[in-house]
Amino acid sequence: MIATFRMMRQVLVHPIDFYNDIQEQNRIKWSQALFVVACAYIARMIAILITGYAFETREPYEISFVHEFIWIIVPWLTWTISNWGVSTILEGEGKFKEVFVGSAFAFVPYAVFIIPITLLTNILALDEGSIFGFLVNVTIYWVAWLLLLKVKIVHDFELIKVVWITLLSIAGILIIWFIGILMFGLMNQLINFIVDMFKEVNFRR
Amino acid sequence: MKQVSKFRFVVSTAIALLTLVMALPAQTFASSPYEGYTRNKLGADVHSINGYMYENSIDGYNLSSGPFNAPEDIFLADDGTIYIVDTGNSRVVQLNANREVLNIIGDEEGDGKLNEPKGVFVKPDGTIFVADTKNQRIAIYDKEGKFTKQFGKPDNPLLGATFSYSPSKLLVDKRNYMFVVSDGNTQGLIQIDPNGQFKGFYGANHVGFSWSRLFIKLIATDEQKAKLSVVRPLEFSNAVQDDEGFIYTSTLGTETNQLKRLSPVGVDTLNNGDRRYGGRFDAGPFEVPSFLDIAVDKDGVITALDLQSSKVYQYDKLGNFLFVFGGLGDQNGLFVTPSSLAQSQDGTVFVVDKGRNRIDLFRTTPFADIVHDASSLFVEGRYKEAEGMWNEVLHLNANFDLAYLAIGKSLYKAENYKGAMDYFELASSREDYSNAFKEYRKEYIREHFAWICLAVITLIVILRYLMPFLWRRVSAKLADRSIVRAGLIKGGVPHDRNV
Repeated sequence: MIATFRMMRQVLVHPIDFYNDIQEQNRIKWSQALFVVACAYIARMIAILITGYAFETREPYEISFVHEFIWIIVPWLTWTISNWGVSTILEGEGKFKEVFVGSAFAFVPYAVFIIPITLLTNILALDEGSIFGFLVNVTIYWVAWLLLLKVKIVHDFELIKVVWITLLSIAGILIIWFIGILMFGLMNQLINFIVDMFKEVNFRR
Repeated sequence: MKQVSKFRFVVSTAIALLTLVMALPAQTFASSPYEGYTRNKLGADVHSINGYMYENSIDGYNLSSGPFNAPEDIFLADDGTIYIVDTGNSRVVQLNANREVLNIIGDEEGDGKLNEPKGVFVKPDGTIFVADTKNQRIAIYDKEGKFTKQFGKPDNPLLGATFSYSPSKLLVDKRNYMFVVSDGNTQGLIQIDPNGQFKGFYGANHVGFSWSRLFIKLIATDEQKAKLSVVRPLEFSNAVQDDEGFIYTSTLGTETNQLKRLSPVGVDTLNNGDRRYGGRFDAGPFEVPSFLDIAVDKDGVITALDLQSSKVYQYDKLGNFLFVFGGLGDQNGLFVTPSSLAQSQDGTVFVVDKGRNRIDLFRTTPFADIVHDASSLFVEGRYKEAEGMWNEVLHLNANFDLAYLAIGKSLYKAENYKGAMDYFELASSREDYSNAFKEYRKEYIREHFAWICLAVITLIVILRYLMPFLWRRVSAKLADRSIVRAGLIKGGVPHDRNV
């Protein structure tokens, strides 16, 4: 636990060292990644709760904790899988565990800073909202920058290749989503078919 | 013996109760065939008290003029005189305030003979302008109903060779300029000067920009383009003028901004951005409201008639939704094919039902009277005076979101910013909430300045001195413990990895 907090601190202040360090043997655990993502999720939910009234963009009934969870966990997982797959084919050095944990730790700036930033909405008026918007954007760009840094250091790539791999990974994410939705639809049809058939047979017994 | 008396007691009690119920006035409640609703700030329709109730009808059977046939328009003069355009009988029937026939215009042979007129306008001096649709002219009659002159199809190269003139509605302004709605004309209102000369189009609707149209233009060949349907601006269905000289128009065939308030130069001053008038689900999915007529009272309250749902919608001067009534059906209070409406000085709404050849009158309910009074003060910015009335409105109907906004504004004016914030939150008006909050924040900081300073200083002290101190203590302890643990694991020889 303490080690996880140390690593969270390190990824904030010395991100390059951090991504070099996680490639050491037995340095990282799967559970650490899950812990960080859980932190980001909890931070997001708290941020939604404490947003000042003027800054709320959705009515309470429009917010679902399941949807928020999906919107964090699915992009992270698909990015991990897609990025690992693409870079492994294109001579990346990173192991799946490193990509998994490294991507999760990229959420640390968001998890740490979104709550204090959102607290600002309780003392800002709408026309000063640009301050809030700017800070949120900085946090999100920070997360994106950490992800790119992870691609570069963990896989040991050149800068141009980082951009190329990132684009390919995004394409990969879209393909995974497409197939996922397709599978979901087909499975639905299949299950419906089986259920209907069972009903029909039952009916004519 | 005892049983009989008991029976008698029961029966007599029952009779007493029955007479009590019967004796209650018959009209303890009034029901209407339509349900009132209002739109809340989330865009949902919520139940509300009806603003208008059906009162009675004018169908002409007991008039000396005989029954109406497919009437298309109605005009109410300030003195209570009613002018009904009886299109099917090709005449205009003039009734006085007591609904007795004063005059029948345009049914005599001669120059003044009308042919399916569709619109009428009467000037304060009593001059009657009739849009004589099938004769393609504007016919003018004097106060006594005697034909004086006519204006035929305006002649001007600007109108184009294919211009077809079929005047259906018209209004006349203080300069005696006529603004004519011609069926099927998409270029705007036709302005005709007192000499019958065409003076240009007024307030035309515009065709907006569309990406799909641009795309089609880029890739389509000339042949394909020729086959495409031409995009035309939308057509006006009616126009009225208020006392200040603004012209209110209703437009057909669009989902947004069907009602407009045009300034003297033809710029819409009612809508900024897209606004949807009419009901969203009243006419069914994919149905666009088609507003046929519009009426404006002295406070700027807009009442408009939608053919698609056969309902009448009422908006305040700023375009906030107030009331709705009517609907499609045969009961009193519903319409078969409504064609026009007008509002009298006392607020009664006259709706012309072409399909049932009669005119239905709707009176305001007490609730509507309060809302109207309050909203006329509200749109003028006299929030404080309106506050009590809005509280009354909320007492009667807590769903009326406009009241929360109005009370919030009143409290804001009275510098009760905290209260204003609460009401703006109830009205879901984030912009106003934020403004009130800004003032509240100013006030709060001024009152608690010393405490805020103290808090800031304490925070700095904690962050600068206390936290680092604690951090050092904790990390020192942790280091101790890890050394001890490492010692245990490595067999008591710390920091020696080679053992």
